[in-house]
Amino acid sequence: MLSLYILIWPVISAVVLFVIVRAFFKDMAEAKREDRSIV
Amino acid sequence: MQDPVFYQFSITTTLLLLVGFYGLTFLFSTLAAKKSDSVDGYMVSNGAVGFGIAAASMTATWIWAASFYGAASSGYKYGLSGAMHYGFWGALMILFIYPYGQRFRELAPRARTLAEVMHARHGSSSQLILAVSNLVGSVISLMVNFTAAGALVSVLTPLSFQTGVLIAGVGVLSYTLWSGFRASILTDFAQVVAMMVVAIVLIPWIYFSMGGSDALSQGFNILTAEQADFFSTKAILEQGAPFFVAVLAYGIGNQTIAQRIFAVRQDLIKSSFITATLGYGSIVIGLGMLGMMALFMGMTPHDGDLNNLIPQVASTYLPPFAIGMLFILVIGSLSSTADSDLSALSAIVMTDIYAKNLAKGKIDNKKMLLLGRITMVIATILGLILASFSLDILVMLVFVGALWGSLVFPVIASCYWDRVTNKAFLSAVLGGLTLFCLVRFELIPLVGIWAASMEVIAAVGGGTVIGLMCYGFSNRKAALFIGTIVGLICAYYFQNFLRDYTVLLGSLIAYGASTMICTAISLANKERFDFSLIHERIQHFD
Repeated sequence: MLSLYILIWPVISAVVLFVIVRAFFKDMAEAKREDRSIV
Repeated sequence: MQDPVFYQFSITTTLLLLVGFYGLTFLFSTLAAKKSDSVDGYMVSNGAVGFGIAAASMTATWIWAASFYGAASSGYKYGLSGAMHYGFWGALMILFIYPYGQRFRELAPRARTLAEVMHARHGSSSQLILAVSNLVGSVISLMVNFTAAGALVSVLTPLSFQTGVLIAGVGVLSYTLWSGFRASILTDFAQVVAMMVVAIVLIPWIYFSMGGSDALSQGFNILTAEQADFFSTKAILEQGAPFFVAVLAYGIGNQTIAQRIFAVRQDLIKSSFITATLGYGSIVIGLGMLGMMALFMGMTPHDGDLNNLIPQVASTYLPPFAIGMLFILVIGSLSSTADSDLSALSAIVMTDIYAKNLAKGKIDNKKMLLLGRITMVIATILGLILASFSLDILVMLVFVGALWGSLVFPVIASCYWDRVTNKAFLSAVLGGLTLFCLVRFELIPLVGIWAASMEVIAAVGGGTVIGLMCYGFSNRKAALFIGTIVGLICAYYFQNFLRDYTVLLGSLIAYGASTMICTAISLANKERFDFSLIHERIQHFD
């Protein structure tokens, strides 16, 4: 139980990291298609 | 002499790490550079930032150097629940502000700062009181982050504290100065990816280096009863409750959050902020676990300073390469927050001080942009000076926290209730702040009828905090009902009790007094405000 309590946080971080990196590249591709800056 | 407790990088390795980090960040920021100078772009980008960058930027901005040190210290001090009481409430600050962020954006889609919305709603005096609280908060944040850079460099390298402070200040300014907010959010993305990768790798690494579950389970014997209790009253009263009370205050008081609310595409506010809540919570609670694991292993902080825990744990259980990763993690976290503070400060000076007050209707965009950049340079110098002299800013920090607490109800009510006036706003903030000072600094001894009446006002504050949290996610009737119930429960439990916890009492009084004053004066007003005027009064500068 203690192991789960400690190790669950890096797992959640990994999921969030995957979500934002995927979204970033999607936004990047869309900006490139529309010939504009991502920010 | 080399300190045996901490691993020491050579000067060459240190400079390679720092120059490499700031050099790569600068190169990444050039992707945001544009030939044409847009003042709106300098402050809120294109107002349609995508989900990936918005979520990453909100996460990176909210994670500052103090997050790691504070979470680890809390984990060490309070045991099982310590890291949660630091990271969980910090994460909720992002979550609970987004419903109000959607309202701010709906009222003023072209705004750059929250104070600008208050200017359109009430005029200059209410605007400036919020803008000044934002300014002071960001300068304090800059100072704390530069101080953390100096402390880290002085502990893990042969370089001095002042050198670390100077490198961080110059490094952050170098990549933020030209493109402003655009550079800040773009580099936030790279920094948060680096931070997350490091956290994902290092937490399990340290856990297994310590010996895993078996080794840590043996440490249960050395915990006190409070540390072994996940619902420890001591942890709740000393760490959890003051943080919980500050949830909305930090959201309202930080221009760094408001700037992201006005920058992200309007339909992506909710998803970006929920993702940032999870990102912040997982990284900060995860690193707070390092403090808890140190407690289980029977480690003692070097020199009794809890801020030494993270470098000490890293030096004991990680190889040099991984310590370098941790070094970058802390530098990345403080830099991402410092660049956001610089962008926030420049936006406030450009919009709230120059455009809305000094320009008197004749706005010169080139002058405004120059003013924004000069603000960044001056703020960096100020942050470096404050950090280098290690000035004691505790009183200032306490005061700003109270000011933010006093602002929460008047700011939120001003965006929903058409009877709130400028007089109600100002009286509420000044009244809340005055009463806070009388209680927090015990200018009047907390005894007898005075203490009892303060506990009643604090109970109103407790009801306000919960009521406003509910209001963001429900409706007025439900929020009023829940807020009233919580207020009555607080009134029962606070009597003859809360006077012994002046920090919590003072914070709740700032909320309670400002709510009571704002409500009373607004109810006496019969005029109604037309909210569509805010939209009309806030236009693009470009």
